[in-house]
Amino acid sequence: MLEVRNGGFETTIQDYPGRIGMLSLGFAPAGPMDDYAFRFANILVGNPPGTAGLEITAGGLVVVFHDERAIALCGADMGARLNGQAVELWRSYLVRPGDVLEFDYLQGPGFRTYLAISGGIDVPPVLGSRATYLPGAIGGLEGRKLQAGDRLPLGEPTLDPAAAAGRRVPASFVPTYPGYNEVWELEATRGPQADPDYMTAEDMAFFFSHHWKLDAASNRTGYRLDIHKWQWARESGGAGGGHPSNILDNGYPVGAVNVCGDQPIILCIDGPTLGGFICNAVVAKAALWKLGQMVPGWSYIRFKEVTLEEAIGLVKQQEEIIHESNLERS
Amino acid sequence: MAEHTITSPLPGIFYRRPSPEADPFVQEGDKITPGTVIGLVGVMKTFHHITANVTGTLVRFLVENEEAIRPGQPIAVVRDEA
Repeated sequence: MLEVRNGGFETTIQDYPGRIGMLSLGFAPAGPMDDYAFRFANILVGNPPGTAGLEITAGGLVVVFHDERAIALCGADMGARLNGQAVELWRSYLVRPGDVLEFDYLQGPGFRTYLAISGGIDVPPVLGSRATYLPGAIGGLEGRKLQAGDRLPLGEPTLDPAAAAGRRVPASFVPTYPGYNEVWELEATRGPQADPDYMTAEDMAFFFSHHWKLDAASNRTGYRLDIHKWQWARESGGAGGGHPSNILDNGYPVGAVNVCGDQPIILCIDGPTLGGFICNAVVAKAALWKLGQMVPGWSYIRFKEVTLEEAIGLVKQQEEIIHESNLERS
Repeated sequence: MAEHTITSPLPGIFYRRPSPEADPFVQEGDKITPGTVIGLVGVMKTFHHITANVTGTLVRFLVENEEAIRPGQPIAVVRDEA
């Protein structure tokens, strides 16, 4: 059992890849915003990479362990301390009953940190996943973020916690997050409604070259970017509506760049599953993790166009990196 | 007498008022005590109170209303009366 003394700003139980295959029923997948850090944290403690763990946003979490387990933290530096001692990120540790893990606030670039515990968090799966889907209030613990007094059941580790502790991700696989006011390069394919039918070639050239500012009002549902006056290829949305960004309602891909009038919004893993605005680009699956470490109100994005084949290649490359055989003993 | 700063643990947009039409939570020169709300930080479509941690006088704000702030950034200076 894991005892929560302080839930922090927004801490949720997530698993990977979340509640997939249900977009047609209106369920976004949920899951970790940064699946790269999440999966590495699980592998460090000897879990399958998708095992349920905690997504800690912006810090403030305090938990007490009641079992002997291996744990690992991957992601942004929140000045985490285990019984008062600084904890290194991207490394596994052994914890014992009574140990206290505390997070301060963000100490540098990045926005989320993942806590993996050997055996995982054993809340009941809902529709096939333990991922917390906040807008639908399902999954995780009662479909909500964690709060003081919560007690989370843990699963049984498959690997001896002492053997899983003391491992680290090699430095070459630890990402460096761009700082405040710096630009993230985000790989994306052209979307289902791009040029020449919906936008002009100039619109798309602007889209792939502009440094888009991430708005502070961005969360797991959507990442808002700055307003832009597009040229548009059409006079109106026809049967879909009066504005050229309108189309008849259709399904939205996860990671789509949804252009609502003048404003592009990246639809994240808790995002809407359908709607009546165009999607001029889709963030490559292997690049979605970067969204999880951008800081709302501060980060900039430059979309780098990739082909579908390149996007598939990036997923394969990532699968080879996030693998237990790459871990080092520290 | 000593000067303290109140910091924000969160990045986001700093607001001095609970809503656009309302009066500011506190004015420069006001007396404050631990727990006094001096502003809000808006991020991820949620709002979090920034509260005082000492008793004293809020001497001045270090950031403007609706300015983007970083985690740990000093928001206001407080002079204690001790």
